[in-house]
Amino acid sequence: MAPPVPNLPKTSSPSQPSGKSEVADLKLQLRQLAGSIAPGSDDSRREIFKKVISFMTVGIDVSAAFSEMVMCSATSDVVLKKMCYLYVCNYARSNPDLALLTINFLQKDCRDDDPMIRGLALRSLCSLRVANLVEYLVSPLTTGLKDSSPYVRMVAAIGVLKLYHISPSTCLDSDFLAMLKALMLNDPDAQVVANCLSSLQEIWSLEAGNLEAVSREREALLSKQVVYYLLNRIKEFNEWAQCLILELASKYIPSDSNEIFDIMNLLEDRLQHANSAVVLATIKVFLYLTMSMTDVHQQVYERIKAPLLTLVSSGSPEQSYAVLSHLHLLVMRAPILFSSDYKHFYCQYSEPVYVQKLKLEMLTAIANESNTYEIVTELCEYVANVDISISRESIRAVGKIALQQYDVNAIVDRLLQFLEMEKDYVTAETLVLVKDLLRKYPQWSHDCIAVVGNISSKNVQEPKGKAALIWMLGEYSNDMLDAPYILESLLENWNEEQAPEVRLHLLTAAMKCFFKRPPEAQKALGVALAAGLADSHQDVHDRALFYYRLLQHDVSVAERVVNPPKQAVSVFTDAQSSEIKDHVFDEFNTLSVLYQKPAYMFTDKEHRGPFELAEELGSLSLGTGSVEHVIPAQSYEASDNDLLLGTSEKEESRGLGNNDSAYSAPGYDTSLISLEDKQVQPESNFLSLAVPTMPSHTSSVLDDLLGLGTPIIPPPPTLKLNPKAVLDPSNFQRKWGQLTTSLTEEFSINPQGAVALKVPQALHRHMQGHSIQCIASGGQPPSLKFFFFAQKEGETSPFFLVECLINTSSAKAQINIKAEDPTLSEPFSTLFRSALLALSPS
Amino acid sequence: MCSRHQNNRDYVISQGGDSTKILPVIASPTHYIFQIFREGITFLACTQVEMPPLMGIEFLCRVADVLTGYLGGLNEDLIKDNFIIVYELLDEMMDNGFPLTTVPNILREMIAPPNIVSKVLSVVTGKSSNVSNILPDATASPVPWRKSDLKSSSNEVYVDLIEELDAILSREGVLVKCEVYGEVHVNSHLPGLPDLTLSFANPSILNDVRFHPCVRFRPWEGEQILSFVPPDGEFKLASYRVKKLKNIPIYVKPQLSSSSGHCRVSVLVGIRNDPGKVIENITVQFQLPSCVESVDVSSNHGTVNVLADKTCFWSIGRIPKDKSPNLSGNLILEPGLDRLHVFPVFRVGFKIVGVALSGLQINKLEIKNLPARLYKGFRATTKAGEYEVRS
Repeated sequence: MAPPVPNLPKTSSPSQPSGKSEVADLKLQLRQLAGSIAPGSDDSRREIFKKVISFMTVGIDVSAAFSEMVMCSATSDVVLKKMCYLYVCNYARSNPDLALLTINFLQKDCRDDDPMIRGLALRSLCSLRVANLVEYLVSPLTTGLKDSSPYVRMVAAIGVLKLYHISPSTCLDSDFLAMLKALMLNDPDAQVVANCLSSLQEIWSLEAGNLEAVSREREALLSKQVVYYLLNRIKEFNEWAQCLILELASKYIPSDSNEIFDIMNLLEDRLQHANSAVVLATIKVFLYLTMSMTDVHQQVYERIKAPLLTLVSSGSPEQSYAVLSHLHLLVMRAPILFSSDYKHFYCQYSEPVYVQKLKLEMLTAIANESNTYEIVTELCEYVANVDISISRESIRAVGKIALQQYDVNAIVDRLLQFLEMEKDYVTAETLVLVKDLLRKYPQWSHDCIAVVGNISSKNVQEPKGKAALIWMLGEYSNDMLDAPYILESLLENWNEEQAPEVRLHLLTAAMKCFFKRPPEAQKALGVALAAGLADSHQDVHDRALFYYRLLQHDVSVAERVVNPPKQAVSVFTDAQSSEIKDHVFDEFNTLSVLYQKPAYMFTDKEHRGPFELAEELGSLSLGTGSVEHVIPAQSYEASDNDLLLGTSEKEESRGLGNNDSAYSAPGYDTSLISLEDKQVQPESNFLSLAVPTMPSHTSSVLDDLLGLGTPIIPPPPTLKLNPKAVLDPSNFQRKWGQLTTSLTEEFSINPQGAVALKVPQALHRHMQGHSIQCIASGGQPPSLKFFFFAQKEGETSPFFLVECLINTSSAKAQINIKAEDPTLSEPFSTLFRSALLALSPS
Repeated sequence: MCSRHQNNRDYVISQGGDSTKILPVIASPTHYIFQIFREGITFLACTQVEMPPLMGIEFLCRVADVLTGYLGGLNEDLIKDNFIIVYELLDEMMDNGFPLTTVPNILREMIAPPNIVSKVLSVVTGKSSNVSNILPDATASPVPWRKSDLKSSSNEVYVDLIEELDAILSREGVLVKCEVYGEVHVNSHLPGLPDLTLSFANPSILNDVRFHPCVRFRPWEGEQILSFVPPDGEFKLASYRVKKLKNIPIYVKPQLSSSSGHCRVSVLVGIRNDPGKVIENITVQFQLPSCVESVDVSSNHGTVNVLADKTCFWSIGRIPKDKSPNLSGNLILEPGLDRLHVFPVFRVGFKIVGVALSGLQINKLEIKNLPARLYKGFRATTKAGEYEVRS
């Protein structure tokens, strides 16, 4: 009878002052009523009890009235008793001494004539959850299991489980498990059987590791005898117990195909049950049973289709969501299955966004030659949807279908129409898609480029869309008349351009454009390289430098590197590996389907931390927020300085050893000459145009670099992490599933640090100091497992996800990094390692 | 399923506003949290281990249904006023995280609903318990949904067909999708153990049928008849779908034409396929795009309201004989916007009493085990479900 209200501390209740006096008042009234048998006294007691419970519900501490409540509990009124039980169960845990007071009257009630009172009392007795009172539980439970009323037996069966959770040894030492097993196989009442099964399953699965005998018992549950016995009685059970039995049946391995057909015949009508949980559990049984029989498995798909579609369209949105997630899983394995029922997945305006998104995924998955036209027509309707996220998803869906199909003619036309809608987010999403389409179907470039060329770059604000547009400007500058001039105008706003992604694309596009139309693009390239070299973003700076040197080295090589003839992409890498999909299919009808991740990722015991952990982390991040803010910033500056210092020193020493004159001013002139030798006239001037616009300090560095004939390894880009990165677990899971591991490393850690890892929280706090957040941790020393995430500085910067396995006894760590920007995984790994190595026992 | 507690107040998640955007299942670092949203109240459940998701969601739905049935509605005040009953119900519906029974009839035998009659009774007789001291024997009976020795004074049984028409019409008036979701409701007040058989004239049109546990499966499979021993009171006997319908009762023709910052809107409503009965409670509503600055609309029939969230709600009622209802007006777009790019979806509501638009017809209802005369009643109603017209 655990009430749903957290027992708030006294101070947090705003109504405390008045509450306090009222509690005292209530106590007094209860005292007066205790033992009264006057007519109507039950009514007054009931009123007071109600007040007490309502205080308790809103979080006011009324535990002070404990003894008075117990005194008044001697009544024949069932509602009074229920309220009293509720009260007692709520406060027993925090007041074990007072709980002792209640044992007496609860035990007495366990012997009441009324089975309902016996049952309620036994349930409350088991729900006290006070460890030192377990001795009082054994005897009432034993009697309860043998009670003549099924209600009491049912309560007792669950009571055994509660006892196990308070004190496993007491539960196992008594003969309860054998009694439960006997009841499960013999009791005439279905609910008693179900509760016994549920208790036994939980206890056995928790004990299975400890005792050989228990795991044998557990396996015996899956014997033909038990499974058949339960299945034959399945109609007597209520719907929830049916789910339990069906779940058990899905694990049963039949010995021959006759058994399979027997079970399916027996369960076929369950597919038409009103309870969606029963239907889905039945479907799971069918799918699993027929896994090895290909033909029958296909028939099963046909058979379950209608019930599933009904569940989608008739239930609450929450149910539709759960069913659609399962449908998506099925459709991945049998896309043809729903291809003629595509209309079921048309979105309705009033549906919640989460349902609509899943429906869009379904439409994408089932599109084939026969229905593409209708589906794409429908998707185009959603593009004008009021909800922008649905509009975006719809465009992406159209794009995905286009990439799947051979006949893209109509789709390309539709996509191009989106560009004419003049909605910035529509344009941006469409540009990204057109770019992908062109990579796969270069033959469409003519039609696309004609339309894309008309888009004013000023109307595209989103980085992804802008990057796509710039990519096309570079790639197809031969087909777009004014490509160099558009690039030029974009370059003018280089400093206002926030997203490094866009600046990177600008650099590359300028290069490509230059190779295709040298005279016109030369100016743009000069501006781009100059701006890139002066850029504060490490990647942009490096790429500009790289291009610069490449051009300097050999322009024809540069062209081969930057602008090679491209092959059309035939298959884009799938976001999710089929291995994971299969894994999730094994977990049909579990929560992992809703997340599209295998269950081990979050519900493995290893990953489950105590609740306090999360709270502690929360308070920690609040409390030290300001400090965190400062430290990473300083360390960034420091490391940046170190870096600059380090490289220039290196260059100095090498430069001195090599050639003194190369180090002086005319450095770039010589290089210019070498360029001139190889190249036609127009290109040679670009450096002289470019260099003067550079800020002085960069150009001096550049001089150094140019002077040195030897190739220099560019310094590792420094990475600055967002100290307040936020990623919720579901997003983490989604990203984790989507990304592939970009880096795996094994290394030793500081043995002293390993000692500090006796508690996982130590590492949480430590890593948080380095702007790396822990999202989940678990395991027992010596082997610990952590999931971390971090984000590059900036609002919408890429995330890094890390799985970290640490063995504290061997002081070894293994990290798997998944990065949204894989180019950054190397520097991030360095950062992560240094953070981990810095861990000390303090 | 080791610890599943549940709450029925929305104080854990308090976004306050748009619960339609929150996923029904959320993963926290340590728990999975289920949530469903009903009438402004969020029902939560949590689990630490894997379990069938629909078990959690469906259970919460049932809790909401049972509470609605008991309290005669669902809102915060009703729950606050009756929290003792809510506690009692939750106790009987779930123990230690495992759902027990959620069948309303059985619960009603254990916990009496709070009604005026019982309040009056308690005052008169002085007996104030709202709990029957008799435990439901139903759990042990062969028909768990029914008391075996039920006495009834009225001897009557009603069968209701309630259908919802879901349709999407394109802006050209083409039917994109049309489907009926129907339910067969039975309200039975019969003594003893009556055995009922309900047959349809045209069961073949039903696409997929789901049954109340009382329906025997074999007769349906063999002869497509519904054979059952009903629970007492009202319950949902079956639900079904009928696909690919062609006839829809009313048309809605929206026209939007915009130029230089203004948008002319005109909506025409009329009967498309006459269902043979009066179409009542016709409403048309649409969400104005956020780029609309101000609205000026009026109609030649019914009333038009523009709500604070920019929903335009046109209540028509019945279609008059002499004219077609028409809504017209002008939308002024926000400055800088020349034309409208986002087009609203028009959602239509209506109700037709006396006809099931799917065409499903009840053939007859036979009752065995009942010597006495009794009253049988049949009704049919069709409502608009998700009836949408694009513009």
